[in-house]
Amino acid sequence: MIRIEDLSHRFQGAQSPVLESLSLVLGEGEYVALIGPNGCGKTTLVKHLNGLLMPTAGVVSVDGMSTGDKRRITEIRCRVGMIFQDPDHQIVGMTVEEDVAFGPGNLRLAPREIRARVDRALEAVGLAGLRHRHPHSLSGGEKQLLALAGVLAMDPRYLVLDEPLSSLDHASRTRVLDLVKVLKEKGITVIHVTHDMDEVARADRIVVMDKGRIVADDAPSRIFSRVEWLKALGLAPPYPADLAWRLRCRGADIGAHVLTMEQAVNAICALRQTGGIEERFEEKRIDEGGL
Amino acid sequence: MKGVFKVYEHQGTGLMRLDPRPKIIAAAALSLVCLQSGVPFLVLATLAAAAVAAGARLGPRRLFSAVRPALPFIVVIFVLHAFSVQGDLPRYFGVGPVRMTREGLFEGIILAWRFSLLVLAGFLLLATTPAASLTSGMERLLRPVRALGISSHDLALMVTLALRLIPTLKDEVESLRHAEMARGADFAAGGILARGRAFSGLALPLSLALFRRCDRLVAAMHARAYDGGPRTDLHELSLFARDRVIIVLSVLAGLASFFV
Repeated sequence: MIRIEDLSHRFQGAQSPVLESLSLVLGEGEYVALIGPNGCGKTTLVKHLNGLLMPTAGVVSVDGMSTGDKRRITEIRCRVGMIFQDPDHQIVGMTVEEDVAFGPGNLRLAPREIRARVDRALEAVGLAGLRHRHPHSLSGGEKQLLALAGVLAMDPRYLVLDEPLSSLDHASRTRVLDLVKVLKEKGITVIHVTHDMDEVARADRIVVMDKGRIVADDAPSRIFSRVEWLKALGLAPPYPADLAWRLRCRGADIGAHVLTMEQAVNAICALRQTGGIEERFEEKRIDEGGL
Repeated sequence: MKGVFKVYEHQGTGLMRLDPRPKIIAAAALSLVCLQSGVPFLVLATLAAAAVAAGARLGPRRLFSAVRPALPFIVVIFVLHAFSVQGDLPRYFGVGPVRMTREGLFEGIILAWRFSLLVLAGFLLLATTPAASLTSGMERLLRPVRALGISSHDLALMVTLALRLIPTLKDEVESLRHAEMARGADFAAGGILARGRAFSGLALPLSLALFRRCDRLVAAMHARAYDGGPRTDLHELSLFARDRVIIVLSVLAGLASFFV
């Protein structure tokens, strides 16, 4: 469990704090999406989870270990793996397998153990065939999979994704997301910072931040039913949820649980069968005829 | 700039799996021989280098492409010696006061030979050793300098990161250049001076971009539990009898080069 208590953070020389007395508990096996407008402090917050940043006030603890405890910081960084936005900024090795070996090497594991972990991690992300390649020659998606392999080789319990998919095409994005889903099912807690609302819809829980504070923390269906509030924050709900909301505004009988395209299609088809939407189509046709 | 990391191509020959330490020592010994040994020893060294090249399946074309960048330098050395060394004048060559002597010709050839072999020594090492294995070999060989307060681990990691950042740096220059070109800068116009000035305009944004990049890289390294000091490596370095033989022979050859 990651426990954040009364966390405040102020960058040196800054007027106002980036994070202000923020508290949050991230449980085992959860998939939490962290959203909020640009500059709301999402990245600053997640950098506290593995001690890359230290709280100005308050405490962050991972499985009971405070990130302020210098002797436990390596253990904390093993448990909390982190993937950053730009894959080029996180590759250290000269070859794919060397890069994956960087983390285990820092733990001073025996070469045999490193080899086993590297093989396992590369197998898990599907890059085993590219192990001798120069990381620079990989595609953007492959680079992020490589970053993921580098983290998996550390055997993490928590996986922090700081907008790692924003520069990827649809296919690579899906590939990484599917892998994250598999990891989640294996019991790894996922904390996913993102602007992409379709990615957010995959989460069990959404934490919304604004101006350094948490302004909402709820299930996706509950968050996305507050469409006007989201829009006021500068965020947009996923397209299907927006569609459902617009239909609801027109009086259609659609519940707030619509988050994915699949659910939207089902809900609209259900409407047609109950006749809830037929009437309006009828009216429209008459209108057009009148013109 | 392309050189260092484009040289190695993974082929899985036995030479490439060899421990990097004997290879580094052998290349160093070969360099010493190139620089100071007499012709008989030079012939032996050339044969040894040829054997290594054959073992690594590096054909004459690859070898020549390695020497090519140094070719102008080698030609200048040859010409300078061929025409300046005093001695018997062969009847068939020479214009006015510029005459090629037999001794000069001989000396020029030897020097060109030495330098080509020196370049090849480096090339053979780089072409048969993955950069990662090269740096871990260096790290092991440099461990004694820890007595001077320098951490060979940090040194090795530094070299790896430097090598790793070269292609990234190249991309960064390219994207900055394009950004400037999109705003009307012309990198192709004018003489060398004008072009140099155009490129010097990239220096500041490039340094800024690099610092930002390094900052992020350091954060990513810390996130993967990097904490300075000793690390372990994917490749286990262990010396077999064969490696020891190579090391001993190389050290002997290196020492002999001072006398033969």
